[in-house]
Amino acid sequence: MSRAYRITVKESDTRHLKAGDEICTQLEILEILPPEDMATLLKEELKKRGFEEQDDGTMLRKDGELTVKIDPCSGEVSVKAETEETINQEAKRDATGFNDVGPSEKSLRDRVKDQLKSDLDKKFEQEQSRLQTKATEKLEKHLQELQPEISEVVNQVTRDALKQKAQQMGTVKEISEDAESGSLTIKVEV
Amino acid sequence: MTRAVVPPRPPEPDGPRQVSKFEFNLLRILRFMVGHFPADQGMQLVRAAVNRPECLSAGAVDLIKDTLGKACILFLVRQGAWRNDKYLRENNPTPGRVWERIPLEERSLMFSRPVLEFLLWATAEKVNDTKAAWDAAPKALTPADELFFWLAFDATRTDPDLLAALRKKDAFRLNPLCWATFPGDMVEGDEITPPNFSPMFEGQRAVLLECLQPHLMHRWIRSERMKGQMGDWKKMRQQGRAEFAALQAFLKAAAEAKRTDLARFVLRTNAALFTSEMTPVFWTGGLQGSGPPRLADRLDTQRSALAVPRQMDILEGWQNAALNIGYFDEGYQASQMWKADWEAVNGNRVAARARATVEMLEPLRGPVGGPPAANPAAAPNDNPEGSPG
Repeated sequence: MSRAYRITVKESDTRHLKAGDEICTQLEILEILPPEDMATLLKEELKKRGFEEQDDGTMLRKDGELTVKIDPCSGEVSVKAETEETINQEAKRDATGFNDVGPSEKSLRDRVKDQLKSDLDKKFEQEQSRLQTKATEKLEKHLQELQPEISEVVNQVTRDALKQKAQQMGTVKEISEDAESGSLTIKVEV
Repeated sequence: MTRAVVPPRPPEPDGPRQVSKFEFNLLRILRFMVGHFPADQGMQLVRAAVNRPECLSAGAVDLIKDTLGKACILFLVRQGAWRNDKYLRENNPTPGRVWERIPLEERSLMFSRPVLEFLLWATAEKVNDTKAAWDAAPKALTPADELFFWLAFDATRTDPDLLAALRKKDAFRLNPLCWATFPGDMVEGDEITPPNFSPMFEGQRAVLLECLQPHLMHRWIRSERMKGQMGDWKKMRQQGRAEFAALQAFLKAAAEAKRTDLARFVLRTNAALFTSEMTPVFWTGGLQGSGPPRLADRLDTQRSALAVPRQMDILEGWQNAALNIGYFDEGYQASQMWKADWEAVNGNRVAARARATVEMLEPLRGPVGGPPAANPAAAPNDNPEGSPG
């Protein structure tokens, strides 16, 4: 007599998932002074804002999971967001077999295990995609916050460079700055 | 293109020449590839197989020669050879129509064996589904052969199966004319390796390029306008990257050969696009959905879409270099001609507009405290007046 039985298989897995996003762009630094002088000014300004000089000459600042890296020589900026999480996932499946016909219990169990493995892979893929979205959103948000700061850095470097240039041209008689309009007037006696 | 000396022609037969069914198909395929036969019927013939005879009759060979010669010359003349234009010849601007500027021996088209072999193969086999291998070594091809293979590829590339089959063959894959015209169709994946463009700026190939300047300009303008209707992010990225790589390599080779006049189509394409202030939406407005999950990929796609405006940087560099060439310096005449070309299209304004458009995509740009300069994910929603998106 044929008897049905049901087997339940559970699988769980723990994986360490990482996701990241990065954009690279170029700062608009005017060539008021020679490139090496402009790079020095940029480096000084970035140091004031918490950037640290690396061995390769680039300036780096970490804001949590976000990293901002600026190359003062080329003006290249890269902003990177990274997220990582250790995630545990479980999956469960039932299967019915018969003691006289059909696959044996072992082969049935193996088949269910294979299915569970693919279920787990799918779940981890979804988690990976969620982490990726999280990293990208973080990067987008940070870019909006970073933009005014970068603009201020560029403006400050331009102002400093203009002052130095004026000094090179002659005797600086008067410097007036209007913070609101961003205008800078330098009177030089040549 | 041949006016000075008329080559002797064999006497014409009294009536139409007798050709076999295979030869008739071959001639129709040839006429389709040079644009003298309806495309739908031509495609059907290319996709069909016919038993190949051992040889062609003398009459059929005469007709093939006649069609190749006349059709290619007619094409070149119509596309731009007829224009009373000015191009560099030995570093000096030379005015006139192509047959006035170039001696006959330099503009006589010579077709070689690979062209006939290709026609035999395309007639006998289903081009999209054949096991019979055919290809031609690019080094063995004459400039006229390259012109023909370019025309053949252009005629067939609207069919995805034929496109996929032909672009694997070296005769097309390494054809600089194909890469200068439709680089997006020359790549399959992310791997982009444009051919060596240097030979295009020498001898007869340079003459062909002179004739094709207006044609290339129209092709690129049309392609740029079509981008606004492209919805697939992946396709846009692939096409844009191929275009960027091809144009960079082309302009580099033009500068090395001191033939900046042959890059006129790039300048004029940009001039035609930037008749007013533009936003990147003109190119990316058709992209569907939010695109790839990574911001880096979205930004790369959008930057790639603007492959043509991004070339203005190089052209502006040429203009700056031309401005610094003095009367007694080498290349003064050539630099004067480039400056005239640049001024004719108001190059400074075009370059400024192109730069502004390209910079709109760049993150971390813009006034202090203002809205972010580029939120690439949001850009497709802001359609300016006159944009296709």
